[in-house]
Parts: sequence; structure tokens; C-alpha cells
Amino acid sequence: MSKEIAFSPDEASLGELLASGSGEPALGRDPFAEVVEIDPFLERLDSVRTRGRVLGAAAAPSPGPARQAPAREPGAARPEAPRSWTTVPLPRRRRARTPALGEIELGEPRGWLDRLVGEEDRRRLAALAHLVEGEMPFDRYGFSPETTRQAFPFFHALYRAWFRVRSHGHEHLPQEGAAVLVANHGGLLPFDGAMGVIDVLLHTNPPRLLRSMVDRWAGSLPWINVFFARVGQVVGTRENFTDLLDDGQLVLVFPEGIEGIRKPVTQRYRLQSFHVGFVEQALRARVPIIPMAFIGSDDQAPILYDAKRLARRLGLPVLPITPTFPWLGPLGLLPYPVSYKIAYGEPLAYHERFGPEGAGDARLVRYLANQVRRAVQLLVDRNRS
Amino acid sequence: MSNVLVTHADEPIGRRIVKLLFHDPRVGRIFAVGDGSPPRAFDRFLSGSDPRLRYARVDLAKHRPVADLFHSTALRESEIDTVVHVPRHGAPAAQSAPIVAGLAERTAETRLVLQHCLETATVRSLVAIGSAFVYRLPPGNANRLGEESELDLDPDVAPEIRSWIDCDMILHGEVHNDRLRVVLLRVPTVVAAGGYVYLSPALGGRPGLRLRALGYDPICALVSDKDVARAVQAASHARSSGIYNIAGSEAVPLSVLARWTGRSSLPAPGPVVRWVAAGARLLGAETARVASHTLCYGFTLDTSRAERELGFRPSDRIGLARAGDGALRVETAAI
Repeated sequence: MSKEIAFSPDEASLGELLASGSGEPALGRDPFAEVVEIDPFLERLDSVRTRGRVLGAAAAPSPGPARQAPAREPGAARPEAPRSWTTVPLPRRRRARTPALGEIELGEPRGWLDRLVGEEDRRRLAALAHLVEGEMPFDRYGFSPETTRQAFPFFHALYRAWFRVRSHGHEHLPQEGAAVLVANHGGLLPFDGAMGVIDVLLHTNPPRLLRSMVDRWAGSLPWINVFFARVGQVVGTRENFTDLLDDGQLVLVFPEGIEGIRKPVTQRYRLQSFHVGFVEQALRARVPIIPMAFIGSDDQAPILYDAKRLARRLGLPVLPITPTFPWLGPLGLLPYPVSYKIAYGEPLAYHERFGPEGAGDARLVRYLANQVRRAVQLLVDRNRS
Repeated sequence: MSNVLVTHADEPIGRRIVKLLFHDPRVGRIFAVGDGSPPRAFDRFLSGSDPRLRYARVDLAKHRPVADLFHSTALRESEIDTVVHVPRHGAPAAQSAPIVAGLAERTAETRLVLQHCLETATVRSLVAIGSAFVYRLPPGNANRLGEESELDLDPDVAPEIRSWIDCDMILHGEVHNDRLRVVLLRVPTVVAAGGYVYLSPALGGRPGLRLRALGYDPICALVSDKDVARAVQAASHARSSGIYNIAGSEAVPLSVLARWTGRSSLPAPGPVVRWVAAGARLLGAETARVASHTLCYGFTLDTSRAERELGFRPSDRIGLARAGDGALRVETAAI
């Protein structure tokens, strides 16, 4: 039945009209009143089912319990649910952990890359596979234990033969739980970060993967960004930093940023001003800060001059003139075979004294960042001499 | 006992939500609307003299049909109190659907549904599914993003993502509404058993070859369709309103996900991908096959807020399994 609506200024009559239509749609058509199209296939299926049921009933007197729900009378209360809906406490989130070396069951070497690596190092690499959840070959930052296994021999060779790394102070690295490692930065290309990752991996038990915070610019580079992610390095955004600490991981930061790698040779081993975000993060996450010093990184590619204006025009963070670059082309960017020394300082437990609320105090955060800078500078100076 | 209206219930995620809500004893009547005929999966639910589920065909992008829907006798008598708005995600043709009243179809639908939810006195909750591709991605293969992360308001963003951002902002504007509880669930790429993938700007649509930017292989956060349905269920019964990230525990690079879902991806230099995308847009072709140049950087989602306030935790594991034809395909299974 169609209802004729006459426009009237009388609001009461309009209200009556709307109120009276409880059994019919107030406007237009009712979509639920229309017959819904039925797929012909289903009609056929229904007829087959019906025939089958009749025939089956004739052949067998007891067809067994039907899967359909029992019919209810309209208006009858619904039967009680078989399951109770109680609140279940949520389990704690799993933290990224690796097993100790003794717990690792090592298989046969796979391919020639495995044969280049000693058994203990293979155990360490196998332990990293436990950082990946379930059956997925990647973690949520794109870390791939398989890619790391393949890249390890090259970086291990750099560690042993090219940079001849010596290190001390590993007792300050926690066996488990999160910590922020704060280091000086230098050397144009981030080989210091790579050597730090290898050193931590080789000197911790259970083996730990150091997650470096890399510059956003590196994250935008084709192939480089993929490689960094596959070997566990993460772009240094606030959210990533927080998440890694919440996950109980070791995070390496270079608070000098780009200023550290583009400082001229006259400034080498003099720490530039620090960004302060890492202190906030450490306080919020209640984790210690561990000073770390790289000796050798500032000598691997001494910068004589930085063409800042040209670099800005080309969209590069740095355009250096070194004794070998640009004279030898891209080969000139390769690091010199200098000897590296890595030192770990005593943890600075600022979180115990100031707590997470200290992260909101900008002056305190700046002060603590300066204290950390001083600690790293002392560590650098002590190990240079 | 709440009565629920589910939009786009004929599409895969909508079907999954209807099925879950049907078996939820806290849900009374379910009204499902969609573009097409009722899915075969609903046959059992629609049978009987007084079925709990009712289905109707409604074009949600047009004002009159949506007004008819919200003023229909069935909805008024049942006093619908919760609306679950599932955006269109199944049919590839819909991605290049005509613009309705100056808006993308998805945006027009969201706007109309929200408007009628606000106008209908009985509706107390609106649970909408949004996309996590609305976030601005910092350079990098993977980025952890929370609900407070910045949205991508770049005017050059792809139209597909633009419509998601518009929907997001329309709903965001009503999150603090006193009368209507608005919950927006931002979901990343949704995968379903059998190698199906939804709501991914790079992999949506029909299977086949895709172009992606050479030198980039962004990490893709994943969630199973069953977990999305569970999140909707949790959100519809929760008391809190707001925006929540919903994601599973797994994340894989785009190239791997493409391979697992039968959509092989071809890396090509960035300018080539851009030219092909522009050409495809001019020719009206399916842009999802070449739109991935905008997706150089990946992300995963911080779901702690949903865990805390909605009690949502992913219950499904996503992995590879060998299908009947011998091919390895993405599969979901309960943890």
C-alpha cells in the first residue's frame, strides 16, 4: 500500500504520519521486504537434497541427528549458549630471546658458506633463528636469519682480517633484557655499526643481535634499505625504538647522527652534539644505557672537506673529499684497513634514579644526554691512549 | 543482547563477520546487506520461518537506498543498536568504480552509513573497518606504527589510498561523539585460507603479475580474515570508542607475500612503474597491478591498544601450506 505524503506546515501532522508508520517503511521501499534472489544452483541443490532425503528415509529408518539447529517457535527465548563468555586473562607478550650456545642442536653444514664458518659461530647464527616467531622466515622488522647467515662470512672476514677488531668490556652487556648502547660514530660508511653487531654476536652467550638505529636517509636507499632490514637493522623512528626496547632487545644508537660521520679529520674522536631521544626512551622503558666506544672508525675514511652545498643540491647527507674519494671513484669510499678497538663502559642506570616520569623533563633529559656524551668521550679517550 | 547490521556482508570479510556474529550468543538479530545475491554460506542461516539473519541488497553509495534501509520496518522493529561497516574489498571492478557525488564510492558509502547511524536513535555503536595504509610511512623497509602515527595527507597519494584516508577522517571526526560510539579498526593486508588477499593496495584484485619498485621490498603486516572478524566482534561488545590497529603476529616482505598468494611481482625501475601506473589510470585499467610504486616502505602495527581495551589478540597463525593442486599457498590456522 502506498502512502501519499502531503507537504504541510503543520509539524504535528507530520509527526503523526511518521509515528503511524510503525508497520511500514516511512520512506521509499523496504529492502528487507523484497524477495531476495536465489541462485538457481542452490535451487537445484535443494531439490537434490530433498530427493535424497526422501529416498534415504525410505531406505534407512534412522537418518541420524540432523546438523541443522532445531526449529524455534517465534518469540521463544533462545537456548542458552553452550560456552560461557568469561574474561580470559591475556598471556604476556613473548619477548625476543635466543637460547644459550649449549642448547643449540647443530645440523650438517649447508653449502660452502657454512664451511667457511666455525662450529661455534654456526651455533651463534642458529641461535638467532629463534628471534623469528613461529614458522615465518622474517620478524616484524624484516630480519631474516637466513640472510644474516649468508652475509656473516663476509662481515666476519672484515672483522677478523680487515679491521682486526679487539674488544673488551663484554661483561657489561646484559645476558637478557633490553639496553641502549650509545656509541661514537665516524668513518663515512657505517662499518662501525657492522663491527659492533658482529662483536656483540661473538661475545655474548646466549648470542644477542644488536639492533642498530639507522638514519632515515639510509632507509630510503634502494637495496640498502632491504639489506639493512634483513640483517636486523632498523630505521631510527621513535616507535621502532620503543618497540625494540619493549621487546627486550639490545639497541645501538649513534646520537651524533650524520654529524658524526661527516666531521672533518681535524675533529676526529671529538664527539659532536647529541640528539637526546635515546635518554627519553631509556627512561620510559626503564633500561640502562651502556656507553660504547669505537676506535678506528674515524681513521677509516678521513674527511678533508665536506661539500655541504653541493650535497644539499644532490639530496645527499654528505659529499666528502677524502684522500681517495672522488679520485678513485666509488672504490675511494672503501674503508682503509685500520685496526678497530671496541670498548664497552659500565651501564648508566639513570632509570633507577629518575624513573619513567623523568622522560617528560626536557632539562633533565638534556643533562643526562650530556652526561652520556661525556662518558662515551672518556671511554674513547681512554682507549685511544 | 544486541542486534547488528553488517554492510557488504556478501564480500569475504563481511561473510566471515556474519558467520561469527551468528554463533555469538550475545547477538540477537543480524541484518546483512550487500550488493549481490546472498552468499551460499548464508543458506543455513537464512532458512526457517523466523531466521535470525536477514539479508537485503542495498546500494550503500546512494542516499535513497541507504535511507530506505535505515527506515525499513525490519530495522526499526528490531531496534538495531550496532552497525558494522565493512568497506568494499572483494570485487576488483569496484576499485575503479565511478565517483559518486564527487566522492569515491568507498567514501560515499562511509559518509552515508555514518550519517544515518547518527540520525537513527536506536543505533548506539558503529564499528567500521579501515585500512592501515593510511599512515605516512617514513623511509625504511619496516616501521612500527601506532594509532597516533601521522596520516599520509600528501595530495599526490594514490586514489585508492586517498579514499581510505577520507573514510578514516570522516569516522575520526565522530570518535568522541557522546551518543554514538564509533570504533575504527585499521587493518593491514588481510589474508584468507587458499591464498586470498584483501585490502592491499599492491596485491588486491585478480591474481597475476604486479609491478613493484626495483630495490624495495617493504615488509607487509598481515592479519587473517578470521582475526578481523574476531576484532569486529570484540569491538561491537566493548564499551570503549576510538581507533585501534588490528594485526596478526606475522609480517613478510611484499615479494614473498605476492609469491605466496599467486601474484608474482616484477621489480621495475621507479620511473617505469610510475609511467605504467599513469598509463593504466588513463586507460581505466586496474591500477592495483601497478600502484605499488607508492609502497616502497613497509610497516607493522602496534596492536597494544586493541589488546588492552578490546581484549583482542590474534588467534590465527599465517603460514604456507601445500594446497590440493600441489602448489604452496598462504594458509591460516588457529594458534
